[in-house]
Amino acid sequence: MAQDKKEKRIGVFICHCGKNIAGGVDIDSLLEYSKGLQDVVFVIDNKFSCSEEGQVAIQNAIKENKLNRFIVVACSPSLHLATFQRCGKKMGVEEAFVDLIDVRKWTMHSSPHKVNHEKALENSTKLIEQAARRMRLKRRIPKVTIEVNSSILVIGGGVAGLEASLDLADKGYKVDLVERLPTIGGKMALLYKVFPTNDCAPCILAPKTAYANIHSNINLLINSEIINVEGYIGNFSVMVNQNPRYVDEKKCTGCGLCVEKCPIKVIDNEYSRGLGKRKAIYIPYDQAIPKKAIIDKQNCLYFQKGSCKLCEKVCPAQAIDFEQQPKEIALKVGAIIVATGFDEYNPTPKTEYGYGRYGNVVTQFQLARLLDIDGPTKGRLLRPTDGKEPKNIVMIQCVGSRDENTNGYCSSVCCMYALKHAQIIKEMVLPDSEIYICYIDIRTTGKGFEEYYRHTRELGVNFIRARPSEIVENRETKNLILKVEDPDIGALIELEADLVVLSSATVPSRGTRELSEILRLNLDENGFFKEVHPKLRPVETNVRGIYICGSAQGPKDIPDSIVQAKAAASCVDTELRKGKIELPEVVVNSVKILH
Amino acid sequence: MAEVYVEEFMSPGCTGCPAARQMLKELSEELEGEMTVEEVDITVDTTRAAEYGIMSVPSIVINGVLKFTGVPKKEELKKALEEEFETDEPS
Repeated sequence: MAQDKKEKRIGVFICHCGKNIAGGVDIDSLLEYSKGLQDVVFVIDNKFSCSEEGQVAIQNAIKENKLNRFIVVACSPSLHLATFQRCGKKMGVEEAFVDLIDVRKWTMHSSPHKVNHEKALENSTKLIEQAARRMRLKRRIPKVTIEVNSSILVIGGGVAGLEASLDLADKGYKVDLVERLPTIGGKMALLYKVFPTNDCAPCILAPKTAYANIHSNINLLINSEIINVEGYIGNFSVMVNQNPRYVDEKKCTGCGLCVEKCPIKVIDNEYSRGLGKRKAIYIPYDQAIPKKAIIDKQNCLYFQKGSCKLCEKVCPAQAIDFEQQPKEIALKVGAIIVATGFDEYNPTPKTEYGYGRYGNVVTQFQLARLLDIDGPTKGRLLRPTDGKEPKNIVMIQCVGSRDENTNGYCSSVCCMYALKHAQIIKEMVLPDSEIYICYIDIRTTGKGFEEYYRHTRELGVNFIRARPSEIVENRETKNLILKVEDPDIGALIELEADLVVLSSATVPSRGTRELSEILRLNLDENGFFKEVHPKLRPVETNVRGIYICGSAQGPKDIPDSIVQAKAAASCVDTELRKGKIELPEVVVNSVKILH
Repeated sequence: MAEVYVEEFMSPGCTGCPAARQMLKELSEELEGEMTVEEVDITVDTTRAAEYGIMSVPSIVINGVLKFTGVPKKEELKKALEEEFETDEPS
C-alpha cells in the first residue's frame, strides 16, 4: 500500500495520433485544461504516444517529475492499455495507476462516433476530468499468483474445435472435447466437396476425426452439453451433461445389424437434412466417429410403446442398454475454447420463395446431401417431388443474408458454395442441365476463389444479377416459375425451373445464447460470439481464459476456421504454459466464497 | 472535502443493474460529500472490468476497490460509502 500513501503525482499525456486526434480537437485547450486539475503535476502532448519515442518520453517524464500515476489521452483501452501499463511498469508505476482513455472515437474521420470540434472538446475535457478524479482516488489492486490447471475444454467437435483440440493435444495438454451430437465432424462432414479444390470433404476431414478419436490426450465427450461453468482462468469448474445413447459404447462394434433389423423409419433431419430416412436406432453416417449406434428415444417403439427390443435381440455384442441414464460429468480446466459453429438459416419465413410449401425448393445444404454419393439419393441429383432429374436449376443467392428484414450481414460462404455446386452438377452429375444463379454481388475474395468463379462461368453457368420477386409452382408438373428483372438486357424474364436452390444464410448455432449466458460471454448484434477487438484480438473474449474460433465468431469458410482454431490454441498455450498466473486477488477470493 | 469515485459496471441486458443504479442515485442525494458515479458498460469497455477481476454485473467499485458483486443491500452500500467518506484521504 506504500504507493497509495505517497503524495499523488499524476501525469497526463495527450496523444495527437498523427491527425486522427489533433485534427478533430484543439490539443492546446486540452493541455491547458488538464494542467488545472487537482494532483496533476505534469502535462504534455505527443505526436504518437504509442511509438517507441512516445513511450520513452512517458518514461522520462515519470522519472523527471516523480510521477506515480498517469493517464494517456488517446485511443481505446482494448487496443493500447497494455502497452502503456508495460511502459509504466518499467518505471515502477503499478498497472492499476495507468489509465488510457479514448477520445479518438470523437475525433477520427472514419469513426462512427465522430462529432464536431466543439463537441469533441467538451466530451474530451469531461472524460479527462473524470479519469483524473478516478486516478486520484483509486487504490492499488492486490494481485495474487495462482497455479493453473493445464487441461482444456473445447466446446464443439466441428473442424474448428477438432483443429484446436489436436493442436493443444499435440503440445501436451489434456483436452476434453464436448460435442452435442452423436458424432464429431460438424457441418463439414455434410458438405460432400469443399471449394476451391473440390476435395471430398469427409476424406480430408477423416484424418482429423480419426486422430482425435485415438489421441491419448483427447477425451471425447459425445452427445454431451455444457450445463454450468464457474471459476476463472486457470481454474474453471465445468459441469457436463452426457445424454444416454442406450448403447454401450465400449461394447458396440458399429456392425449395423441393429440398424438393419429396426422396424421404425423416420425422416433424417440431421445427416440427410430432411430428404432421406433413417431408423430409430442408427449410425449417423459411415465415417462417423465414434462409429457407434444410438437410439432415438422419441421414435423408438420400446421407449414409446414398451415393446420391440429387436435391436437387443440381434446385437451380437449385447451392447444395447435401455437402462442408460443421463450422466453428469465434472471437469476442471484451465481454459475454454468455444467452437460451436453455425446453423443454416431456415428460409420458411421468406414466403416469396415457397420453401416448405413447394417440394422442389431446397437449400444449398440439402443440395449438398443430394449430390453426395453417400447421401439419400446416393449421388444422383433427383427432384424431391417425383425423383426425376432436373434440367433447369435456379439458385438464389443471399436468402436471409444482406437483407434488413432477416440478417443484415453477408454470410460470406454462399457465393462460393453455389459456384461449387454448379461446378459439380455441370462437370459430374448432369452436364446437360441449365444452371442459373440469381445474385446481388458475387463475392470471391479468398485465395484461388476468383479463378474458381471464372472456371464456373467457363462451364456455361448463367449469372443473372437480380433477385426473383416471387416463385409460383405449376401444380401439375411441380415446376417452378420465377420472374426476374434482368438488368443486363433491361427486360423482365421468366424462368421455369425443375429445382430451385436457396443459398441460405449462416446463423449462430442453436443454443448459442444459452451457452453465452453460462460462460458470461458477449454476443455481437447478429448473435455470434463477440471478440475483444475485431481486427487485433479476433479470438479473445470478454472473459480471460475463454476463446472463440470458427463460425461461432461469425460466418467463415474452412481455411479461416482452421486459422482461428490455431490462433485460439496458441492463446491458450500462451496463458497456461508457465503453469502460474497473476490475477486480481478479488477474483480468487470471490470464487472461494462461492464454493 | 470528502469525496468518492464510484464505478458501476453494468451491461445493457442486465436485470439487476437498474436497481443498483437507482440505489446509487438515492445515496448520492442522501449522503454528505462529493460522490461521482460512472457507469461502465462492460460490453463497450471490456478492459476495465478485467482489470478489477469483475466477472458479473452489476459490480460496484468504490475508489478503485471492488466492493460489491450483484445488487447490494442498500444498507451495506450506504455503510461502504460512509466509510470511504470518513477516511478522507484514501489509503
